[in-house]
Amino acid sequence: MAALSEFRVLRPASAVDAVRLRGEHPASRFIAGGTDLVPNLRRGLVSTDIVIDLGNVGEMREVQRSGDTLRLGAGVTLATLAADPTVRASLPALAQAALCVAGPTHRTAATLGGNLCLETRCQYFNQSESWRQGNNYCMKLAGDTCRVAPKSSRCYAAFSGDVAPALLALGAEVELLGPQGIRRLPLAELYVDDGMRWLALGADELLFAVTVPLVAGRVSGYEKLRMRGAIDFPLAGVAAALTRDGEAIGELRIACTGVSSRPEFVGGLDALAGQPLDAAAFATIERQIKRTIQPMETTTVSVPYRRRATPVLAKRLVGRLWDEAKRR
Amino acid sequence: MNAPDRELRKFGAANAAPHGVGARLPLIDGVEKVTGTARYTADLPAQGALVGKILRSPYAHAELLEVDVSEALKLPGVRGIVTGNDCDTPYGVIPIAQNEFPLARGRIRYIGEPVAAVAAIDEATTDAALALIRLKVRELPAYFDAADARKADAVLLHDNNKGNIEREVHNEFGDAAAGFAAADLIREDTFECAEIHHAMMEPNAALAAWDNERGHLTLWSVTQVPYYVHESLARCMKTDAAYIRVIKPFVGGGFGHRVETLNFEIIAGLLARAARGTVRLLQTREEAFLTHRGRPQTHVRMKLGLTRDGRMTACEAHVVQRGGAYGGYGLVTILYAGALLNGLYDLPAVKYDGYRVYTNTPPCGAMRGHGTVNIRFAFESLLDMMAAELGLDAFGVRRRNLLKAPTETINGLKVMSYGLPECLDWVEQASGWRERVARLEADSDGPIRRGIGIACSHFVSGSAKPVHFTGQPHATIALRVDFDAGITILTGASDIGQGSSTIITQVVAEILGVEYRRLRLIATDSALTPKDNGSYSSRVTFMVGNAAADAARNLKAVLVAAAAKRLQVAEADVEWLGEAAAVANDPARQIPFHDIVEEALVDVGMLTVKGTFTCPPEFQGGKQRGGAVGSTMGFSYAAQAVEVSVDTELGKVTVEKVWSAIDCGFAINPMSVEGQVQGAIWMGMGQAISEETVYENGRHKAVSLLDYRVPTIIESPDIAVHIVESLDPNGPFGAKEASEGPLAGVMSAIAAAIEDATGTRIRATPFTPDRVFDALNRKPPAGAHVAAAAKGAA
Repeated sequence: MAALSEFRVLRPASAVDAVRLRGEHPASRFIAGGTDLVPNLRRGLVSTDIVIDLGNVGEMREVQRSGDTLRLGAGVTLATLAADPTVRASLPALAQAALCVAGPTHRTAATLGGNLCLETRCQYFNQSESWRQGNNYCMKLAGDTCRVAPKSSRCYAAFSGDVAPALLALGAEVELLGPQGIRRLPLAELYVDDGMRWLALGADELLFAVTVPLVAGRVSGYEKLRMRGAIDFPLAGVAAALTRDGEAIGELRIACTGVSSRPEFVGGLDALAGQPLDAAAFATIERQIKRTIQPMETTTVSVPYRRRATPVLAKRLVGRLWDEAKRR
Repeated sequence: MNAPDRELRKFGAANAAPHGVGARLPLIDGVEKVTGTARYTADLPAQGALVGKILRSPYAHAELLEVDVSEALKLPGVRGIVTGNDCDTPYGVIPIAQNEFPLARGRIRYIGEPVAAVAAIDEATTDAALALIRLKVRELPAYFDAADARKADAVLLHDNNKGNIEREVHNEFGDAAAGFAAADLIREDTFECAEIHHAMMEPNAALAAWDNERGHLTLWSVTQVPYYVHESLARCMKTDAAYIRVIKPFVGGGFGHRVETLNFEIIAGLLARAARGTVRLLQTREEAFLTHRGRPQTHVRMKLGLTRDGRMTACEAHVVQRGGAYGGYGLVTILYAGALLNGLYDLPAVKYDGYRVYTNTPPCGAMRGHGTVNIRFAFESLLDMMAAELGLDAFGVRRRNLLKAPTETINGLKVMSYGLPECLDWVEQASGWRERVARLEADSDGPIRRGIGIACSHFVSGSAKPVHFTGQPHATIALRVDFDAGITILTGASDIGQGSSTIITQVVAEILGVEYRRLRLIATDSALTPKDNGSYSSRVTFMVGNAAADAARNLKAVLVAAAAKRLQVAEADVEWLGEAAAVANDPARQIPFHDIVEEALVDVGMLTVKGTFTCPPEFQGGKQRGGAVGSTMGFSYAAQAVEVSVDTELGKVTVEKVWSAIDCGFAINPMSVEGQVQGAIWMGMGQAISEETVYENGRHKAVSLLDYRVPTIIESPDIAVHIVESLDPNGPFGAKEASEGPLAGVMSAIAAAIEDATGTRIRATPFTPDRVFDALNRKPPAGAHVAAAAKGAA
């Protein structure tokens, strides 16, 4: 990889200061763990004159429980998240997803906010400058054409964060801090299905915290499809959360990652409430997932495989959670 | 871990830790490596060194009309720029097949081929200068697979190679037609292996210092073959080899990537001379993938004949290798693939047709198990499939075809020691082969199915005929002793992590019996150490080990003579105690090592004692055509069982456990042997389950360790290693190679295990989840086995 380009580093001591600096310097980027940004800077995928380091913003590293809500600062590291007793006990999908990211050294630096805002990925984008130049670039950076869908007017780079689907399944909300203060929105509304503009985050907004409801009786989990048991980004990832009323489904929430330009919440499963988890229910799950996902050739692993394997992953996960819920 | 328990001979003080041959010792440079004090090429201090970088072609195939560096030269801070105009001497490891220039001249043949290089005062300036270089080209049709390149109307990559065939090999040993006529079952099938890359840990790097006053060049590089680099530099820079010094510092793996001179090494020399200074040329991981030299994409069509009871009668193999843009080691790869079908089993007849094809992709070359791996995958797979058809046990059919050493194969390869039967016995017993059915069924869980498979493999302990014929010994070691009574081992052998420096030290320690601390090893500095051909074809333990033993014996003779003189007895009456010498049967009359050395230095001063080794001509292959190929003094043998689980719903293969037995003749260092076997298994597993290069229009897409999926520690199975010692009559203390042989069986053992688990045989590597998923969900075609007669010829 190439050397880093030159930039200034600003180190605000509070989130409000960070947002103010962001407003003052439009050509700036926030940095927390840097596990996504630094390699992208070194490859020339992103460029910036100023880096606003969130490392001194202590308030973003807090984990607070108040009643039935867990509030996670966006600066909490993935290692902390995966080891947090409340997360492990009540939000296992989140703990499992955090533990699936990259390798141990990455997770000690990488943060919740960074993983939620992860730059979308594509085999034609995550390459060196000379590689991309030789390939006449692509729509996401410096080119006109989307290399995975040449006739398309949009970019199909894949969202590849592991944590987002877990939080979608768990019904999380995000707190965005802007000059006017905090606004809250459901996590799903943070994302846009566009490989170039996948975050509905204002130019001067900071992803500040995530709140997750702690729902009694809810079980959850995350399954990741990848070639290797470490390092790899998801070829597909599925998170599920469910509650069980005896032999009937209480609530079933499923979300996927790696299969489009945003993490996808799988709709159309509400009708399963009150139904048994039988073959018909599994067929519904499979159908709804296939309707939701749109894997493209953003990786070297075949698209048909990812399309067919994702529902398998989901059904297996739901089956496991179903049995787990019964044991509760 | 299973290693031979043996009583080790102890010299002198009875309680001293054994450190001679057979001792289980950590590598002598292990502490530096794990503590980070070892300096690799990129770590070498070079204050004020210029930053060198290479401009690489974005074109797969083009006439190179002009490389315009005029704007770049004007940039302040640029100290030197070199292009194809700066070197008109082609290089290549095979003297008769040199067709590559360090920087393209006239023609570009693959994306990533070096076209120009810049040395400037810092990285930003170098980058800016590279961006100012303009290429004028006329693009040509490009070919990314062998079949396209072979088409009648294809443009030739190299003018004198019709059909873009770099090398055709046709030979027949024994009578294949008669063999097939005698067979009860003949099957023919095709196998495909994806191209793979070495993915050594340390990226490429060179540091070149040009002494403008004297016109001398010093080059530090990551090479496995400093002597070849030295030789190439002298030729390509048109300078006397005496004005060049090549130093190989610590090297973080090679696996064959560095067994030939690589373009960046010559470029570094050219740049340093052009810039009249010191240039540091660090390469990215992507550049290693573009420099490549890995195992070629290989298509094998193989036909095998067996009698009803499993005796092999004949084998016919048709092999096509996509060699990439230049010759490199390719000629050897395509020859080895045919020749080393022999030497493992008793094969009465082999007909081989091999084609090495030029394509517009980075050149392939040597990689661990050179030439033997993909064809072994085909052979062992087909053998298993046919054995199953005949109702024969996988161990049984292999035992039916064992060699009996000493013997000579049909193509004139000498087999002097052969521990394969013992390897098979151990693997069968340790893996619980006979009880496997019930155990695997019990360990299977719903869609996760367990299976087990086995395979055998072998490899040479050094090519008996060196690539460069010089008439010199195949290996030379010098031992230097001076007033301090320290013994300095001077060797040109390249320790690239495989442990050669440790092995050499143990051999010298064994023969001299001195304290380990008394020995110091200095390696791979052309100004100090004897020439060595390099670390390739697993030659070092066998050849350099023998040379080290010879040197130690020669030194011991000098020291015994000195001791006799000092003790005033006949040499025959000296009892050698390692750190001392005594009069036989009179231990009280004893002198310490320092006194012996003091006596030895009288009148002559510093001692430099040499030892050499040369493979005798009778081991350099038979007289018949193709007979010299694959000749070696000793083959290592390996057998392994691999247990896998297959997630039949997701196509994911997990290697759960491996049992590997290696006949390395004699384990000079059992710990090191075990490490080499584990590494070989692990590397073979990578090729089997996840690794492949991926080209799109000649552009390699998996040029990072994120996308080129080398297994991680999570994928690494428990590997039980068992060492079989067949005591080769010619190896140092009976030793043979231990590092390449155990690799070639891994892919077919895994394929067999997958079939055992799922009923589906996969004939193409790697067995990635998408491929396995497809295979498991594909309806078997009617008549999956096509009788040989039904298939046409090449």
